[in-house]
Amino acid sequence: MMKFLWLALKDLLLVARDKKALLTLIMMPLLLIAILGSAFGNMMKEDEVVSIKKFTLGVANLDKGQLSKVLTEEVLSKDLSKQIEVKYYQEDDLYKKIKDRKLAVGIVIQDDFTTSLISGKGTKVKLLSVPDPGIKAVIVQSVIEQFSRSVPIEAVVSQMVQPVQAGIQNGPVQEGYGKKPLLKETTIDANTKPVSSFQYYAAAMGVMFLLMTVVQSVSAMVLEKEQEVFNRLLLTNLTYPNYLLGKMFGLIIICLTQALIIIVGTNLLFGVDWGSSVSGIVMMTLAFVINASGLGVLAGSLIKTEKSFNVAGMLGTQIMAALGGSMAPIYIFPHWVVLVTKILPNGLALQTYLDLMSGATFSKILPAIAGSIALGLFFFAIGLIRLSLERRGKYA
Amino acid sequence: MKMLTVRDLHKSFGNFAAVKGVSFEVEKGESYGLLGPNGAGKSTTINMITGLFPPTSGEIQIKDFDVIKNPKQAQKWIGVVPQEIALYQTMSARENLKFWGRMYDLSGSALEKSVDQVLEIIGLTERAKDKVETFSGGMKRRVNIGAAILHRPELLIMDEPTVGIDPQSRNHILETVKRLNDDGMTIIYTSHYMEEVEYLCKRIGIVDHGQLIATGTLSELRETIGDHSKIILTIDKDGSTVAGLAQSLTSLFPEKDIQIQDHQLMVFHKEPQLILTDFIQSVAKTGTGITSVDIVEPNLESVFLHLTGRNLRD
Repeated sequence: MMKFLWLALKDLLLVARDKKALLTLIMMPLLLIAILGSAFGNMMKEDEVVSIKKFTLGVANLDKGQLSKVLTEEVLSKDLSKQIEVKYYQEDDLYKKIKDRKLAVGIVIQDDFTTSLISGKGTKVKLLSVPDPGIKAVIVQSVIEQFSRSVPIEAVVSQMVQPVQAGIQNGPVQEGYGKKPLLKETTIDANTKPVSSFQYYAAAMGVMFLLMTVVQSVSAMVLEKEQEVFNRLLLTNLTYPNYLLGKMFGLIIICLTQALIIIVGTNLLFGVDWGSSVSGIVMMTLAFVINASGLGVLAGSLIKTEKSFNVAGMLGTQIMAALGGSMAPIYIFPHWVVLVTKILPNGLALQTYLDLMSGATFSKILPAIAGSIALGLFFFAIGLIRLSLERRGKYA
Repeated sequence: MKMLTVRDLHKSFGNFAAVKGVSFEVEKGESYGLLGPNGAGKSTTINMITGLFPPTSGEIQIKDFDVIKNPKQAQKWIGVVPQEIALYQTMSARENLKFWGRMYDLSGSALEKSVDQVLEIIGLTERAKDKVETFSGGMKRRVNIGAAILHRPELLIMDEPTVGIDPQSRNHILETVKRLNDDGMTIIYTSHYMEEVEYLCKRIGIVDHGQLIATGTLSELRETIGDHSKIILTIDKDGSTVAGLAQSLTSLFPEKDIQIQDHQLMVFHKEPQLILTDFIQSVAKTGTGITSVDIVEPNLESVFLHLTGRNLRD
């Protein structure tokens, strides 16, 4: 067997015999699941009776078909009359009202809304809102998504080729108050399932725990570097690539074990739906773990003392968790922040898990998987170069 | 045949010169000791020889391999016993040895055989399944040595392998090293315990302040101080405060051969019995009481004292 595998096996054996590490690896996620179950389970029940202040929704209906009528007259005007007051506008007027902040939220139903739904090309609704619409935009978006899904044309839905999750289609309109966008325009698609708070925090906390496991494992790596065992390893036939590969491989196995506990645990105990794409969940988990482990190994190669790593690791994890959406929902961040945080292993993983929970298919998240693995390998390569340069520097 | 050649080795850390022009050679099958106080530069020299540190300048060759240009090739021939315990504490002695054996490319029955042999050599066959963390300091040190000899290196480099252990374990380790050397393994042994170096090593280098200040066999080193024995008189007063004592002793013996330290007066002489009576009488004349008289044969401690003016363990 190659030496890096023995090194990885040794690390796994050490973790298995370390009660503190095992506690973090297995018990803490289970504890987290229990806390999530009791805390968010109740919140979800409360969600059913929460009262929302009535607001006005501007509608520009360009569609002459039946489905847009059902949506506006039956669903929005009647079924949701306690929450939403519907007012109809011409498209230009609707844009103006929102730009002038006379309306917070509006929708433009495209002229081919009905035919698109029926033909399986996806919905054609533009959600317009002021830059800070609060819950109103989310409600309207959810209603339209639910409506689109409930259209009883199963064959049509299965053929839909449009992207499934809401995303900005056009750039914000740049006028009015300096360069601040006055209006946000979003396209709502049919297959997007709403993600519950339980689902969100199961993914968010899971990702954060995996980050913490990486930090803990890398801390052990840095400690090993500080001790004589690292020097002894360097004096054997072990090469630097083998050393880093062994470290990363061990870390990947540990993280995958923890991810399995979190995903299966939340699913079995609390019915958290991680999405229907099992291959997507598996591959994204693997990709995230490679990404985070690569970053961890890079940090381990850069930092010389366990003490300094622990300080940097703790701070780094907190910042990454906060920016990556583990502490507060990413929905509250400006869109550009959400995009930027995709460079963080946890940010990308969380957003992809949420995509999967919303119904994304494997092919939809493939770029995220590829990007995550590529980043992990990039971090690993930098770590390797760093270690090699350190040695070459010594011998320069 | 030369096993190790070190030429004009220098190592500086910033402005601090840790090793200054160390040169020596070790023949195959020889046991060579590097003796010196803590901080003398022994470990830095060892780290450069093993390829862990590059020297600032100088040459190191193990067999025909240049350690600086090709450390991995040279490292294949060596086993290193580090000063600290470099083992995994929550793994058993056998697990540790198997792991380190694998790192040296051993596998299968060859690995099992080697681990069994090493456990026997270090006397821990009965405790092979116990975790290292449950071992005494001495037993850990023995496993530490075991991990360095699994691949049967031709050159075994030991950096202070007996620090902080009980006399029994020390004896066991010394016997083990002696046996390995008798079996043909070349040994480089660093220590600040002169008894160990005297017992194990055929040739000795004395290191101080980063320099090799003397090298040779024990008898050759003794010659550097004229093979002088040391007479130690312990007195009831601080010698430096007794009026006329230094003057009286200087008139009897050449100044360089006398040392007064607190309550001890020391005189170096090739034939101590010839001067002992005069020495005692001259002290007594000053009204100083003598509480004990010792004669110490020349050893590495006295060589070091002679060469540096300091005790080895100062």
